[in-house]
Amino acid sequence: MSNSVISVISRFLEEYTTKTSNKLKVVDAYLFYILLTGALQFLYCLLVGTFPFNSFLAGFISCVGAFILGVCLRIQINPDNKGDFLTISQERAFADFLLAHTVLHLVVINFIG
Amino acid sequence: AWTPGWSVFCLVLLTVALGAQALTPSHHLSLSDVDRLKGLLSQPFTDLASAYYSIVGLSKLGASVADENDACQFLKAQLDPMSVDSLFFAAEASQAIADCEVSIFNETRDILLAAVSEDSTVTQIFRAVSALSSLGLPLASQEVVAALVARIAKEDNVLAITTALQTATRLSQQAELGGILEEIEDLAARLDDLGGVYLQFEEGLEATALFVTAAYTLSDHADTEPPLKEDQVIQLVNSVFSKKSWDSRSEAFSVACAAAALSSNRFHVPVIVSTQGPATVSHSQPILHLLVTDILSNPLASANLLVESAQAVASKSVVLSQAPFSLRNGIFELNFMASQPASGYYQFTVAVTGDSRLVANQVELKVKVSTEVAVTNMDLSVVDKDQSIGTKTSRVDYPFKAKGSFTADSHQNFAMNFQLVDANTGVELTPHQTFVRFHNQKTGQEVVFVAEPDSKNLYKFELDTAERKSEFDSMSGTYVLHLIVGDATLENPILWNVADVVLKFLDEEAPAAIQSKTLYMPKPDIQHLFREPEKKPPTVVSNTFTALVLSPFLLLLILWFKLGANISNFSLSPSSVLFHVGHACMLGLMYVYWTHLNMFQTLKYLAIIGSLTFLAGNRMLAQKAVKRYGQSSTLTFFTRSTCEN
Repeated sequence: MSNSVISVISRFLEEYTTKTSNKLKVVDAYLFYILLTGALQFLYCLLVGTFPFNSFLAGFISCVGAFILGVCLRIQINPDNKGDFLTISQERAFADFLLAHTVLHLVVINFIG
Repeated sequence: AWTPGWSVFCLVLLTVALGAQALTPSHHLSLSDVDRLKGLLSQPFTDLASAYYSIVGLSKLGASVADENDACQFLKAQLDPMSVDSLFFAAEASQAIADCEVSIFNETRDILLAAVSEDSTVTQIFRAVSALSSLGLPLASQEVVAALVARIAKEDNVLAITTALQTATRLSQQAELGGILEEIEDLAARLDDLGGVYLQFEEGLEATALFVTAAYTLSDHADTEPPLKEDQVIQLVNSVFSKKSWDSRSEAFSVACAAAALSSNRFHVPVIVSTQGPATVSHSQPILHLLVTDILSNPLASANLLVESAQAVASKSVVLSQAPFSLRNGIFELNFMASQPASGYYQFTVAVTGDSRLVANQVELKVKVSTEVAVTNMDLSVVDKDQSIGTKTSRVDYPFKAKGSFTADSHQNFAMNFQLVDANTGVELTPHQTFVRFHNQKTGQEVVFVAEPDSKNLYKFELDTAERKSEFDSMSGTYVLHLIVGDATLENPILWNVADVVLKFLDEEAPAAIQSKTLYMPKPDIQHLFREPEKKPPTVVSNTFTALVLSPFLLLLILWFKLGANISNFSLSPSSVLFHVGHACMLGLMYVYWTHLNMFQTLKYLAIIGSLTFLAGNRMLAQKAVKRYGQSSTLTFFTRSTCEN
């Protein structure tokens, strides 16, 4: 059982490092960073407490929102998905990404207190 | 069909109707009121009219002016033989004074007769006719009647018709007064009924009083009973005699005339039955005194007073029936205590007989029979709650105090039994107020309980020390015990210091007494407690985690470096520079928003910077897109060309 899991994971990692383009790996690194930040905030909340609760929420939702937007960007700029996004060029995807982030930041800063 | 139900219904209706008609006068002129009226009329007069009101008014009340000779001289001096009014006042006033004759001239008769015509007002006709009659001059009654009838048709107001009625009293009895007599009934219909108690004209007291005078004088003169019902007569009495101080001489005169008319006419004489002092009888004062007078408070000459029934209010039993009063020195007396009534209130229905003219001769009175109370068989005892130890009972006699004091602690009850009896008859009484009062002389506490009688009218009071400790504030100590007995029908209310009682409570609270004293002193200040801020974690922990949360950024940079991400493709075109600068500004604005600004200001700045950044960014990305398409298109061209080869 564990053997098959390990073999699946190693196969996945091999495919990932060879098949994925650099651009996507850059975005993936960014996503990983966001994930870590969010997880650490959540850990703090679990360990120390929810005070101040609004700040925790702002930070955590910022991470979650940024992660989602990053995932959207990755999907849209992946050339394998070009068929799904015929009307959206890569630049357009990036512009959308920036705009959405502006709104997210506005809300987060408002809530952070 | 005449069923029994129908007859009962009719009987009930009749009783209700009769009961509703039993109205008695609520106002009359007492002796002091009559004196006041006489005083107002005795004031010195300055002209013929006021002389007339005073002299004639006082004569109606059976009095006279201070100096009759002076008055007579005044009348003679003030007389103007050419004026009908002057002749009227002088003639009428001189008639009221003995041996006073006003001199007349030949022209006097002509002047007066000339005033009797359809063209003069009713008042003028009245004054002329009265003057003619007082001066003993002949007049033609039928002509006067004709003139009056004509004038009544033209002057259809209350005062005019009343004056016409008064005029008719001076005419010969053979004249046709029937038409004028009918006016009494028509006028009576114009009276306003106020609450079923008062009947008066809206023109006021004087008009009502003059109407009463005219109606009865004319009825006497024509020997016809006035068409006024008994209730109406009483209501008129109430209206005329409710005012006890009069505004003017003429008003006082009208009241005096009405009083005289109502006390001595041939048909209706309202009778007033009143008590002399409070209507109370007792063993020391067993006789009930009643006064029977007319409305001028003159005792009625031929009247007999009879108690139709005396009924106890509480038990509704009839104590006395058809018992006559005896007359002594003008006061009617009845020894009510001879019937041995129990103490309480009695409803008396008395009837005045002896004169068929009497109106409102059935009167209801409330009489109180009071008595003295005696406390007997007063037994004080301390009873153990579980009844294991025998009770110790001591008898105390009124008004002495028990010799020793009684001690009761939380296991014992203090009990008091006694009886209240009528001192004269020995009958058991249940007065309204029977209180047991405990007074702590040291702390000033006072606790009052009610003692209640049982079914055999024995009073019992029991104090459960443990149960009642809250009322005593658990203050142990010596309490002085008083018995308080009172009632409206008792002549000797009792306040009796019976004994001293020592009460012992558990959980004594010494500050209890102080508490009650400080009830109205300023209370201690309350400091406001602000909401305490939540506990914050120590700074070390916060700092550690801040560093920890920022560390993934470092990791990101390392990863990017490893992946080979670089900014070598950065084109220094103005739009791209502007875009990056604008974007940086937007991020900076976010920081400033966090520290200084509010949403509205931020949105304002964001709009400006954002639009610039958007334009620059749009251009930059377009250029990038062109470059990218250009690259890919050349690649495609190259590939196609190689493939073709």
